[in-house]
Amino acid sequence: MVFTTPELSNSRPLLRGGCLAMLLLLSQPLLAADFHIHEVHVRLQDQVYLLDADIDYQFSEEALEALHNGVPLTIRIDIEIDRPRQWLWNINLGSLEQGFRLQYHALSDQYVLKNLNSGALYAYHSLWVALDELGMLRDYPLIDHKLLDPEQEYLVRLQARLDIEALPSPLRPIAYITPAWRLKSDWYQWSFKP
Amino acid sequence: MVIQTLKRLTTGPKPVILLFVLILSSLYLMSAATQHSAQFGQLYSWILAINVFAMLLLLALIGRNLLHLIQQYRQRVAGSRLTVRLLVMFIILAVAPISVLYYFSLQFIHRGIDSWFELKIERALEDALELGRGALDSRLRERVRQTRQQADLLAREPDSSATLRLHEMRSNSEAVELTLLTFNGRVLGSSSLDPTMVVPTLPNTAILQQLRSGIDYVGLEPIRQRGGMHMRIVMQVSNPVPLGDPRLLHALYVVPERLDALANNVQQAYTQYSELGFLRQPLKYSFTLTLSLVLLLSLLTAVWAAFFSARRLAAPIRDLAEGTRAVADGNYDMRLPLPSNDELGFLVVSFNDMTRRIARARDDAQQSQQQVEQQRAYVEAVLACLSSGVITLDEQTALRTANSAAEQILGIPLHQHNGASLHALVEQYPALAPMLETLESRLEQSMGHWQAEVVLFGAGGRQVLICRGSPLHSGEQQLHGHVVVFDDVTTLIQAQRDAAWGEVARRLAHEIKNPLTPIQLSAERLRHKYLATMNKEDAELLDRSTHTIVQQVESMKKMVKAFSDYARPPQLQLQSIHPGELLNEVLDLYRGDPRLKLTLDIQHTLPRIEADAGRLRQLMHNLIKNALEAVTQEVVALDIGLRCAEETHCRFIELRLEDNGPGFPDEMAGQLFEPYVSSKPRGSGLGLAIVKKIVEEHGGILWANNREQGGASIGIRLPINHHPSTPTNHTGSQDE
Repeated sequence: MVFTTPELSNSRPLLRGGCLAMLLLLSQPLLAADFHIHEVHVRLQDQVYLLDADIDYQFSEEALEALHNGVPLTIRIDIEIDRPRQWLWNINLGSLEQGFRLQYHALSDQYVLKNLNSGALYAYHSLWVALDELGMLRDYPLIDHKLLDPEQEYLVRLQARLDIEALPSPLRPIAYITPAWRLKSDWYQWSFKP
Repeated sequence: MVIQTLKRLTTGPKPVILLFVLILSSLYLMSAATQHSAQFGQLYSWILAINVFAMLLLLALIGRNLLHLIQQYRQRVAGSRLTVRLLVMFIILAVAPISVLYYFSLQFIHRGIDSWFELKIERALEDALELGRGALDSRLRERVRQTRQQADLLAREPDSSATLRLHEMRSNSEAVELTLLTFNGRVLGSSSLDPTMVVPTLPNTAILQQLRSGIDYVGLEPIRQRGGMHMRIVMQVSNPVPLGDPRLLHALYVVPERLDALANNVQQAYTQYSELGFLRQPLKYSFTLTLSLVLLLSLLTAVWAAFFSARRLAAPIRDLAEGTRAVADGNYDMRLPLPSNDELGFLVVSFNDMTRRIARARDDAQQSQQQVEQQRAYVEAVLACLSSGVITLDEQTALRTANSAAEQILGIPLHQHNGASLHALVEQYPALAPMLETLESRLEQSMGHWQAEVVLFGAGGRQVLICRGSPLHSGEQQLHGHVVVFDDVTTLIQAQRDAAWGEVARRLAHEIKNPLTPIQLSAERLRHKYLATMNKEDAELLDRSTHTIVQQVESMKKMVKAFSDYARPPQLQLQSIHPGELLNEVLDLYRGDPRLKLTLDIQHTLPRIEADAGRLRQLMHNLIKNALEAVTQEVVALDIGLRCAEETHCRFIELRLEDNGPGFPDEMAGQLFEPYVSSKPRGSGLGLAIVKKIVEEHGGILWANNREQGGASIGIRLPINHHPSTPTNHTGSQDE
């Protein structure tokens, strides 16, 4: 298995620079509120490629306020596996989506994290603990080894985002137009060869 | 084709109604989604986006319509002003009530949302939560104490017998699960109430981390899949072996069902109220947004509907306006499309009927006009062929029509003076004055047919016209004008006179000349026979008498000869001559006359003419002799001019003689060139008659008038090339 240097899919420097400058000008305090993907590992185990990822979830004050007022926050992790071609567009081998719902339980003063794919519930006495747990994606089954061609190079993309559509409907229009609610990481993209 | 189909599909009332229904449905869905309706909540954003898109679409449609209308308004297209007026009216009617409704609805919604929240309820919920926590805490403290005892008991237990001990402990307590594990999560022993639970529930890494720092973990956990709220207690167990791995006891207790249900209700109510409280402002925004979208969409739909309705309402009126304009421009073939069966439709039907009738009337009129034109052309053709002049006058005696013969006879381009009154004509052509007088008197007096002889004195000489007139009546005997027919009989009269004189001459020659010779012979015979036999006195008497007879007979013979010469047919000896030289030849014979004072004005560049030199000499002699005889003064001043008549483009030469005599007596006007008309005591009366005859033999014209300063003037025009057939009817012998 060969790992290559991870790169950001959005690689247009001018646009990024412009957006960054605008963000700096308009919402300096909100810069911290965003998701970041630190590290991603893919390993083969029992003929299945498993994904480990470390994601840093920094929620905005608005989002945390909503959480503490009983509004559940849904986090989606989108994973896409592409087979690149030289002259044509890439072939999408699969799109995976992992969902988590974070909710504050007032009576027990616990933060309840639910894996939306498996339905498993986890309770944490601290938000930071819950977010740390949430940020550690471990042993996530990516793709069966048999489906991959050993001679071929593959592209995997990963993004974590707050699902605005899962918010209560009155909050959605505001969430769409407020930067504090548009929380997501950049696409983390890397290539690997089986 | 495709564009037309699209246009057909996007115009008309159906798409408007469809769009309206779609917008209403979309608004209903959005409203339902705003109110937490589960099935629409998921689609909220889509519905919102669709509504915004619909709004933009409507805005674009309205913008397009507005632009189109502004262009039409600026170009002053028929019906655009009415459309604008209707549009403004519709918009005002739509905007005013909707805006008022919007304002009050917004107020109502805001107040309604605010009224959901009360401080008391909030406090009560917080208290209930606190109460629930208290109730659970007291139980939790009990479980902590119990777990501490179990941990103390386990402290002396080795790992090998821990499971049995745990099982015993769990049986004697209310714990659902007891697990002994190490700090790194390795399970040393476990006992669970649920026999199917093979893998024990383990504390997460954060709890383990907390325990590593020496703090026990006590917590309530809402883990639903295990049958409700659980109490999790994790604490360190004293190690029996001092150097052994430190151990942890993990205990799970179930909250009693009743308490769990109550606590759950409190938790749910608190969470919902808290969420609702947090969403109060977003909810207001959301409702405001929905209501604003409803308002905007309703407004825009109303505006668009206003455009549509105004256009539809104004369309037949615009058609009518265009139709009226077309009719005003003379296009009667325009037919308007029937819009509907209402009053406007009736109006359009009436308009179409009217234009159809007007078109038919116009066609009839055109046909009639064509017939009239044909008749007119026919009449004009007939009139043009007439040798008689025909003019028509309206009731104000203004000239209406004149045929070419009239123009020829009068020598006036009458067609240029159509509509001019006779007085205006006379002012421009004074020679028509006698005709005007005659016409005026006849037209005023007589309403029936009339006939009169008019004598005109124009540049061409004297003209005798026989005029016949008749009033023109319409069917109702209303006077519409007059028709005047006239013939130039100058030539005819002259010809009649010439013929009469010729007959006289022939008869004179025959009746008088024949007896003259016997008379003369008889007188000479009487003289010869009886003169010698008579006495002196008788002889003298006889001699005188017979001499007188012979002399008078001779004189009569000369007279008859001269007369017969006048009456004899022309036998011209034509040759090319130079008129100036001929004139000088003749004048040479008179240059010695002491009475005569000649003034000559002979053009140097005279062309040669074809003429009989002898007859022309006679003509010149006659004219000069006539002048010498007529002038009674001692000095006869004779001005003779000979030139090429420029006004005839040199087709004629013009000879003019002017003397200083008494001129022609007025009573002789019109008969100057008649035989035996003379004002001179010694004149034979044939001089000017012969002059006229020679001129006419050469195809020329002559005229005579009195000079303003006194004296007579005679003008002669002779053609350069002799044409025996040259018409002389209007330029013939004319005298003044």
